[in-house]
Amino acid sequence: MDADELKERRAEYRAVEESAIPAEWLAEFEAAAQRPLETRFRYAFIHTHRPVMDDAPFRAFDTMADYRRWCEENLPDWLGYGRV
Amino acid sequence: MAAFEYRQAQEIRDCFQRHGVRYLFLDKSGAILLGFPDTTQDADVFVEKTSQNCAALVLALRELGFALSEAHAAEIERGKDFIQLKNGPFDLDLVFAPDGIERFSDAWRRRVEVEGFPVCHIDDIIASKAATNRQKDRESLPRLRSFREYWMRQRRS
Repeated sequence: MDADELKERRAEYRAVEESAIPAEWLAEFEAAAQRPLETRFRYAFIHTHRPVMDDAPFRAFDTMADYRRWCEENLPDWLGYGRV
Repeated sequence: MAAFEYRQAQEIRDCFQRHGVRYLFLDKSGAILLGFPDTTQDADVFVEKTSQNCAALVLALRELGFALSEAHAAEIERGKDFIQLKNGPFDLDLVFAPDGIERFSDAWRRRVEVEGFPVCHIDDIIASKAATNRQKDRESLPRLRSFREYWMRQRRS
């Protein structure tokens, strides 16, 4: 493949990548990129009480597997911490 | 506990820097720093698991206002894989061995700096979420992958 072909191929890949982003999401990404980081933080970080999860001041797990297991055994399913 | 604020992220950044703590923002909080528009309530940091780094981390967390008992400090210094802190000015998850990322040094090499915040590369954030395979991650992955395409394109241009 020569340089021109390579350039053409790259442009094709780029077009595929761009078209792969749903228009609604693309608009959101572009809007977010215009906001200062501080504003993005204000929109992004929320607080809602998660039963069980938020009820202890400190938890430590030897392994990630222990943590995942604890989540599955103790948290309500609707929180979404269960493995698929 | 109120929502995590930008000012508190700055406090983490500045305090960890003073104490020489090696860490990276990970998970959705890392993606948000990169520009991903979504919501979360956790601030997650991937911390290098060395005795020196963990000792520095304990000092930094105490300076930030986390009420760590000696037993808590010992658990952090031992570098357990995952620690949840809800005993300070904000909630913070300490991740020492995230799923999907082999070594801290690899993630550190690929890191991105955003206003002085060290952040995992979007590919590491996605790899970690994909490896976790939780329901909530599976739901957010398609949008995160689209964001990755957008973010890479912005970096190229």
